[in-house]
Amino acid sequence: MANKNLNILQEFNILYLEDDKNLREHTKDVLEDFVNNIYPVATSNEALSIILNNKVDVIISDILLENENGIDFLKYLKEDKNIQIPCILTTAHTDTKYLLNAIQLKVENYIIKPINIKELLNTLHDILLPIIQQKEIQKNQNMIKTISAVTDSKQVEVVNYIFNNLNNDNLLIASYAEIMEKISISKPTLIKLFKELAEKKILTKTQHKTYRFDQKSLEAL
Amino acid sequence: MFAKKILSYFDTIAFSYKTNFLLFIIAGGMVCIIFLSVISIFSLKQDFDVLFERRTKPLVQLEEIKDTYKINIYDTFYDIQHDGISYEHATEVISLAKQLIGDGWIDYKKRIDSDFYKPSYVTSLITSAYPITSIKEKKILQTSIMNNIEKKITTIDQLMEEILYLLKYRKTEKAFELVDKLYFEINSINIYFTSLINYDLNLAINEKRKTEKVFNIIIIISIISIAFVFLFSIILSIIIINNFKKLHNSLELKVAVKTKELQKLNDSLEKKIKIEVTNNRKKDLIMFQQAKLASLGEMLQNIAHQWRQPLGSLTMIIQSFQTKMMHGKLTDEFVDRKVKDSLLLAKNMSNTLNDFRNFFNPDKDKTEFLLKDCLDHSLELSKYLLEKERITFTCAIKDNLTINGFYNELSHVFLNIISNSKDALASKDKGEAKLICIVIKKVNDMAQIIMIDNAGGIPDDVLPKVFEPYYTTKYKSAGTGIGLYMSKQIVEKHMSGTITCRNIKHKLGTNQLHDCAKFIISIPINQ
Repeated sequence: MANKNLNILQEFNILYLEDDKNLREHTKDVLEDFVNNIYPVATSNEALSIILNNKVDVIISDILLENENGIDFLKYLKEDKNIQIPCILTTAHTDTKYLLNAIQLKVENYIIKPINIKELLNTLHDILLPIIQQKEIQKNQNMIKTISAVTDSKQVEVVNYIFNNLNNDNLLIASYAEIMEKISISKPTLIKLFKELAEKKILTKTQHKTYRFDQKSLEAL
Repeated sequence: MFAKKILSYFDTIAFSYKTNFLLFIIAGGMVCIIFLSVISIFSLKQDFDVLFERRTKPLVQLEEIKDTYKINIYDTFYDIQHDGISYEHATEVISLAKQLIGDGWIDYKKRIDSDFYKPSYVTSLITSAYPITSIKEKKILQTSIMNNIEKKITTIDQLMEEILYLLKYRKTEKAFELVDKLYFEINSINIYFTSLINYDLNLAINEKRKTEKVFNIIIIISIISIAFVFLFSIILSIIIINNFKKLHNSLELKVAVKTKELQKLNDSLEKKIKIEVTNNRKKDLIMFQQAKLASLGEMLQNIAHQWRQPLGSLTMIIQSFQTKMMHGKLTDEFVDRKVKDSLLLAKNMSNTLNDFRNFFNPDKDKTEFLLKDCLDHSLELSKYLLEKERITFTCAIKDNLTINGFYNELSHVFLNIISNSKDALASKDKGEAKLICIVIKKVNDMAQIIMIDNAGGIPDDVLPKVFEPYYTTKYKSAGTGIGLYMSKQIVEKHMSGTITCRNIKHKLGTNQLHDCAKFIISIPINQ
């Protein structure tokens, strides 16, 4: 179960739409340990009011509800209300009719009951990971931009150049002259920077004009 | 031999020909007899008439001549002898007598010579066939007598001439001498006449005899022909009767043979029927099995659904222990709660299973049970399918009745009808309400269960056949076509009740009238 970092789920709110009271309660008991907030509801009306009033990141919905259909509700949300929230459908039916409808709705996954909690959590993880990553990237970029704004901008430009020109084997093939052509930096400063990187084993020279970037050295810092 | 051949031939010809032949023989015989007798009678009558006229007249004539001789001539001469009359007067009388005698004799001769007696055709035919002693040789006697008479007449005439001549000249003695001679002659001629008369009489008698003989022959022929016709008719009748008997016997024989054949056929048919009946029973058994399997499938779907939900919950509970453990939140209180829940779920699942297992166990004995319980149970079993099709069902238990019967079989019947209603309702438009209404009430010592659905009723061409085996309107996969047949068997044979269905219009508790199918099951309460 620990293959994936399920801790990322801790930040998210989940709406759980299920008409069977027993299953709803037990699933809630399981999921509440993994997520920030879980809203267990029995009908689409309750679900809609929760969606409109709270931040909901993922909807887990049963297909056959009491007197209604989960797919119809999701369709209503996506097409009529234009609320795009990732969805996972759970059902006891292996009916292809539902499957086709689900694919047309572009739901994120389709889980057959009885629910395997691992599968559910993995799916949640898969859905939420890109969101987390997106956030992370945004954060890093902001950080770099902030750092470059307060420190020597030339050195940041060189680092930027190095990462942009790393090939698939994490090798940088360039001479000082080539770097200096691109970036207006004095040679002593450039040499000093490379020396510093080599000392910290971030960028080690393997042969003439070839440097290797070592990711592990970053984690050791 | 010949007769036998004819008889055998007669046997072979067609029956209608025989009867026609008989009719022809009888009719022809009768006509012949009548014809023959009429002809014979008329010819005989003619013969008698002719005989009488022909034989009596000459006799009379001869007698007249004889009388003339005796009276006129003899008496006249006697008168003359005794001076009774005058000469003139005597001559006159004698000449008159001569005249009469001459005329009479000529007449007689003419009659004898001219129209010789001609018998009628029939008589002559018979006489030629049966020759009767001829009288031809006697003819000579007649001729000689006649010759003698003629001679005598001439002698008498001469004598009279002489006498008259002598008298004229008054030679009385000589005349009287001659008169005596004349007397003698007259006497002799009279004797001749008498013999001629006798001869003629003999002839007449002879002819009469002949006629009598002819008559006898005719009578004999008639009798023979009558006897012949009679005999022939009787023989023919006997033959025909025999024929009838034969025909009757042969027909009887044929009928017996056919009857035997029929009996055989009947026996073999009976055997066949027995075999077919046993086959049918087997088929019925298989059919019942099929029906049970079909409903088993449906029930299995029910079980599957009813198990799925608790199974989902149980799965979740089991997994929750793991996740709670992971998060270090596995408290005693949590375990207690989850175990309690799981046990409850497991118990429910077990109950469901028992319900269905009981349902498929055949009832061995009749039991007393509440109709309502059986109905509720059936509805419970089919609840899932009804919910799936969004069918609303309402029950109205007007009388809480207890009946004695086979619980599971009745439950089968309910399920069958509900299942049929469900199938019919499933094909309805989604917009309309799908309703099933069930009423239990008591009607005249009978428990009546009325099941109504608003699926539009049963089509008229299907309605009379719904209880027939293997009749189905569904696709092969959807039904075996024996559900209602089995229901009928159960209700009628096992519960001694009745089951009927018809189409009605009913509001079913709503505002509008629906086209409904109505099934009525009646089961006796006191059994």
